[in-house]
Amino acid sequence: MTVGGLRSFVARRLLLGAAQTVAVVLLVFALTEALPGDAAVALAGDQPDPARIAAIREAMHLDRPWYERLGDWAAGLPQGDFGTSLTSGRPVGQYIADGFGPTLLLAALTLALLVPAGFGLGVLAARHEGRLVDRLVSSVTLAVYAVPEFALGVLLVTVLALKLAWLPPTAVGYGTDLLAHPAALVLPVLVLLSRPVCSLSRLVRAGMVDALASPYAAHARRYGVPGARVRYTHALPNALAPAAQQLARTVDWLLCGVIVVEALFVIPGLGTVLLNAVAERDVPVVQGLAVVFGVLTVVLNLGADVVAHRLTPRAAVAA
Amino acid sequence: MSHADTVAEIRDLRVEIDGRAIVDGVDLQVLPGKVTALVGASGSGKTTTGLALLGEYPPGARVTGDVRLTEGGLVGYVPQHPAAVLNPARRVGALLHDIARPQARHLPRTERRTAARARVLQAMLDAQLPDAEALLRRHPHQLSGGQQQRVVLAQALLLGARVIVADEPTTGQDALTKSRIVDQLAAVAARGIAVVLLSHDLDVVQALADEVLVMRAGRVVESGPVERLWLSPRHEWTRRLLEAHDAAPREEASAGQPVLEVRNMTAVHDRTTVLRAPHLTLNSGECLAVVGRSGSGKTTLARCLAGLHRDHDGEVLLDGTALPHSLRHRSRAQLAAVQYVFQDARAAFDEHRPVVAQVARTAVRLRGAAEQAATDEALTTLARLGLTDDMAHRRPAELSGGELQRAALARALLAHPRVLICDEITSGLDTVTRRGILDLLAGLVRDRGGLSLVLITHDQETARLAHRVVVVDAGELVEQGSARWVLEAGTGLRT
Repeated sequence: MTVGGLRSFVARRLLLGAAQTVAVVLLVFALTEALPGDAAVALAGDQPDPARIAAIREAMHLDRPWYERLGDWAAGLPQGDFGTSLTSGRPVGQYIADGFGPTLLLAALTLALLVPAGFGLGVLAARHEGRLVDRLVSSVTLAVYAVPEFALGVLLVTVLALKLAWLPPTAVGYGTDLLAHPAALVLPVLVLLSRPVCSLSRLVRAGMVDALASPYAAHARRYGVPGARVRYTHALPNALAPAAQQLARTVDWLLCGVIVVEALFVIPGLGTVLLNAVAERDVPVVQGLAVVFGVLTVVLNLGADVVAHRLTPRAAVAA
Repeated sequence: MSHADTVAEIRDLRVEIDGRAIVDGVDLQVLPGKVTALVGASGSGKTTTGLALLGEYPPGARVTGDVRLTEGGLVGYVPQHPAAVLNPARRVGALLHDIARPQARHLPRTERRTAARARVLQAMLDAQLPDAEALLRRHPHQLSGGQQQRVVLAQALLLGARVIVADEPTTGQDALTKSRIVDQLAAVAARGIAVVLLSHDLDVVQALADEVLVMRAGRVVESGPVERLWLSPRHEWTRRLLEAHDAAPREEASAGQPVLEVRNMTAVHDRTTVLRAPHLTLNSGECLAVVGRSGSGKTTLARCLAGLHRDHDGEVLLDGTALPHSLRHRSRAQLAAVQYVFQDARAAFDEHRPVVAQVARTAVRLRGAAEQAATDEALTTLARLGLTDDMAHRRPAELSGGELQRAALARALLAHPRVLICDEITSGLDTVTRRGILDLLAGLVRDRGGLSLVLITHDQETARLAHRVVVVDAGELVEQGSARWVLEAGTGLRT
């Protein structure tokens, strides 16, 4: 039943994920509908002349009943057609595609450093549980976790960029091709990394402490399995499930608007796109981003659930 | 009496924790191909002695004495709960391969993998696990309890253990499984491996052991060949242990009014019917045993009565009034009337609060008693069940399994129940403790006029306590009748 069980679990979760995606789309539409005024009012801006607003409404088909508009908008989504921006007239899909590059780059870099650092620190602390190394790791991670990103960001910029001038303070002027200017990425990645490393390593530590003290770890040691093997192949899998969930939440956060960090370092990612769209009342862009973020969240949590299912096979029996 | 061919030997072992000796002056010789049994109540030092052969001691222990193994003498361990030593996140084959890998290291690199694999499969076969290939790919929770135990045994065999320590291998198992475990361990001994059996199950000890050491409070009070010990026990404690084992059955009592009645009950789990009980009554002052193998549906019956399992379509009548199916919809008086005592007493207590507080809480919650009155009543009830004031104020971790089970009974009694349901409450206990609890239950039915007891059990000895016995098999009530009639003439219990 192992393979069949996993398959039916994934199938069930996929169905649920599809339902959740539909719910996200409906919710985003309903919430924008519920906003006072509409795009026409926002666009009319300084000249709120009713006749002009009515004209804009007609031009944008906003005078049609909501279900027709929902139908049109929703029908476009699967083909990647998110509508057009109110302010520039460019397709919303273009906005998202442009912003996605820098965001993805930041997320990938952060993740590539986060996984080894988080797991490494967690295992290290658990291995020396109660001793100096553990206390050091635990207290430093707690302290760093307590500092919000914007504060840490400002601090790092002040010290490393402005005072010491080792690194550029922002990514202004580099456009979306950030990879060509790696120095500009160091500070943002450091700030993005700071809190996730702490939460992840603390979770891994807690799981590893339990797993290393478990009878099955003692049994493996008793039968002569070497220490490193017991740690990484017998104990660690039991500590992974909560960490995998936490990792999914972190990736979700990294992809769906690290607004503070992008704003601080002026990186033209999705967070910046969102911030600008909100400032300009560009409803279709906000709507499009909300759908993308919603779908990403659903997909990432689905992935995390599958991983957790694989790591804690017993939980599936109860679920 | 030192033998030339002993594979392991313990001399004058003393293990102390905080100045209290838990093992004191124990000598033990382990011979190849022989089964050496350590018997005694829980807390007598059996497990500590057994683990000493593995070189493992409780944390903070002071150890003196000698534990010697022959050259390269590896020791295997089969704990009481094999599931605990199987890694829940890894497949069964993972640890087995880790054990086999170094054994194939002397071979050329290309042959190592196949050689290790072959060794693993052979060990599975030796542990009487057919279809090894498929089993190795499963996770521990996908195995039955018996298969888990055999996998742990296979690990010890693969290791090449000369001595295998088996801790309470038959506790909580039904008769059929027990006899299979006995055969299994006999087969291990026949391979020339020394078996050290730690058990309070005297039937199993008698069937398996060559040498027996009777332990009490950390000391060996008597030792010798099993036949000699059974026929002419020298020490008074051994005699008590054996007497408790074959205690006489109870006399039958007259029946009172029906308290609880079950009508047309069909209970389901996930759309599978697990129990059919067309009609069942429990009379006032009566003790009813529900017996059957594990998985027969007897616990489901008990849980339906208590309102813990609501997926059934029958009626449960208390004094002629139907009880709501679910606990949530029952009134306080109805909750108090039917009380449930669980198998695992330790899991049924909050580990952070003193036992007496938790016992008293029942009276406050279910009968609206005042805090002080409830505590007083809790202390008297606990004292009557054999727990002193001092013990009552301890936390659950500081009480033994038997003591906690008494506390759990006291907690249920504080509700002043009409019906007390005991679900396998003696199955994790040693013979003497079990006898004590059973005597206590008999006393309760005798002294508390009108209290009815439902004993869920797979143990015939426990069932003998009852006036009436119901046999459940594969979800059907196959037999009902007086205890003597069912247990002696009945067919249902033959396993």
